[in-house]
Amino acid sequence: MLFSTPTLAEFLRGISLFQDLDYGTLSSLLPLLSRRKVRAGETIFRELDPSDALYIVEYGKVVVSKHVSGQTDIVLTRFSPGDFFGEMGLFDAAPRSASAHAELDTTLWKLERHTFHDMLTNRPEIGARICYRLVNVFIQRLRVTNDQAREAIRWGLEATGYTPGQDADPFGRKST
Amino acid sequence: MPEPAKIEFLTRNPDEATFQIHRVQSNQARGMFRPQRLSEAVWEVTAQPQSFDGSRHFVLRNLQRDRYVLLSAQEHFLWNHFDGNHTLAEIAKLLHFEFGAFDYLIINQLLTKLHAAGLLAAVGASGVQSSIASKSSRRWVRAWVRLRRAWGRISFKIRDADRYCSAIYRRGGFLLFSPFALALCLALTAVAIVAVVRLSPQAKQITLGLAGMPVLSTGAMIATMLFVAVQHVLVHALACKAYGRKVREIGFFLLQGVLPTFYADVTDIFMSSRRARIVVDLAGPLVEVVFGSFAFIAAYWSPPGVGQSLFFGAGILLWEGALLNLYPFNFLELDGYNILADLLAMPTLRQRAMTLLPKLLGRLIRGPKLQKSEWIQSSYLAICFASVIVYVVLHLDALGLGRLFGAN
Repeated sequence: MLFSTPTLAEFLRGISLFQDLDYGTLSSLLPLLSRRKVRAGETIFRELDPSDALYIVEYGKVVVSKHVSGQTDIVLTRFSPGDFFGEMGLFDAAPRSASAHAELDTTLWKLERHTFHDMLTNRPEIGARICYRLVNVFIQRLRVTNDQAREAIRWGLEATGYTPGQDADPFGRKST
Repeated sequence: MPEPAKIEFLTRNPDEATFQIHRVQSNQARGMFRPQRLSEAVWEVTAQPQSFDGSRHFVLRNLQRDRYVLLSAQEHFLWNHFDGNHTLAEIAKLLHFEFGAFDYLIINQLLTKLHAAGLLAAVGASGVQSSIASKSSRRWVRAWVRLRRAWGRISFKIRDADRYCSAIYRRGGFLLFSPFALALCLALTAVAIVAVVRLSPQAKQITLGLAGMPVLSTGAMIATMLFVAVQHVLVHALACKAYGRKVREIGFFLLQGVLPTFYADVTDIFMSSRRARIVVDLAGPLVEVVFGSFAFIAAYWSPPGVGQSLFFGAGILLWEGALLNLYPFNFLELDGYNILADLLAMPTLRQRAMTLLPKLLGRLIRGPKLQKSEWIQSSYLAICFASVIVYVVLHLDALGLGRLFGAN
């Protein structure tokens, strides 16, 4: 188990969000995080729930999905140990844009929005470093989202039989 | 061939506490796809006469978008089962029971045609096609797209032609489609034939008059052709109105990408009878016959000179134009071809013949044997080739190749 490795601070250092912070700073962050254990199949948060925190995966696997219809969601992505999700909740008070479920028994560390905002106010130099990393993550995830959108469109076209570029000649008679 | 696209779905169990994840490939989903045609208020379908080879076609019309789709018997069967209740896998089985072995490609092609015509529910991907096509990196594709765009600026269409044609038809156009008008045309043609016969001894001398004034004669002939071409197309459109059908548009375009010409889109006549289609096809060339007849009669009554030469030349031009238009075997979808296609009840005869052409020799030598419909297509191709050769030989002088081949 990762937590059995020397310290939690070392674990956090391996997360891209905190990679610009030194051990001292990371140690000062530890009291701000709270731990949460989730069983496989349980929901961490649902789409449209109030958005209030970022989660870091220490152990297990998380699947993020978006509602499509009825009891069916489309799977957007998965998160493994060292990944984090729900980062939009740090900045945006809008409801959750997707649901997160534990695919395996999972251990998470939670950074609440009000805690993050306190840190931005009290330790702006740490906040700036974290924000810089967050922007990089946003960009990466936007690229992945574009690829997913393209793949979803391809899936829809293939599944419904629409073949781009092979549009049939429209039938008609032009009397000349 | 790219891998089928995959999507994962998360389905919550009824207890809401647990879930399952399913990975679905697009081709799996395809089998479960339940195509649903729009409600019957939005479309109409008309059976066409049985074809010479025993097959039957259907024309499906989207009443809202004014789009038409030609369906084979198999495609019509599929269309009837696109009710939103049957999956494609089930429909494919039913098709197999009804028609025996079939190429799955026809389902793809039909879906593509129906998507394009907006006849399936909840699909709207037409914009994707154009955006993907525009990104094609092949040079010749880009050149072709540029050429088509350039031509698109030259060609034009009047989309609300139906309104104008209806007005013209109501205000006297209907008189053209009376038995009296037909009798008048026939009488006029008979008189013109007599005039031509009487003028024929001096025909060479009269036509030589045109050679003496090339600019005037060329200008007059071009003006005559343009004027009559517009009347020709207008009469096609009015004939369509005479059967109560819609004229989708009137315009100017390159027929088969080769021949610049005016046209009237009378596709709606497919929702009427075969007789109606043939009348619409014949009405256009009759214009050339009538104006040509007037020209010959005028030439007969004119004193020898410029006027007589111009009238006589216009008469020849218009009658030859009518003949060429009515001759079906020239690779072009002119009126004669349309009549032939209607008589054979093979509305896509030319396209199918052109598709067969590259593999025809191989089929004749190595098989498999040609089917009845393919023999008809092959005969069409053979007569077309022979006709073009004969036409070129007969017009070697006009093409400036007479001396080259030793013609007089």
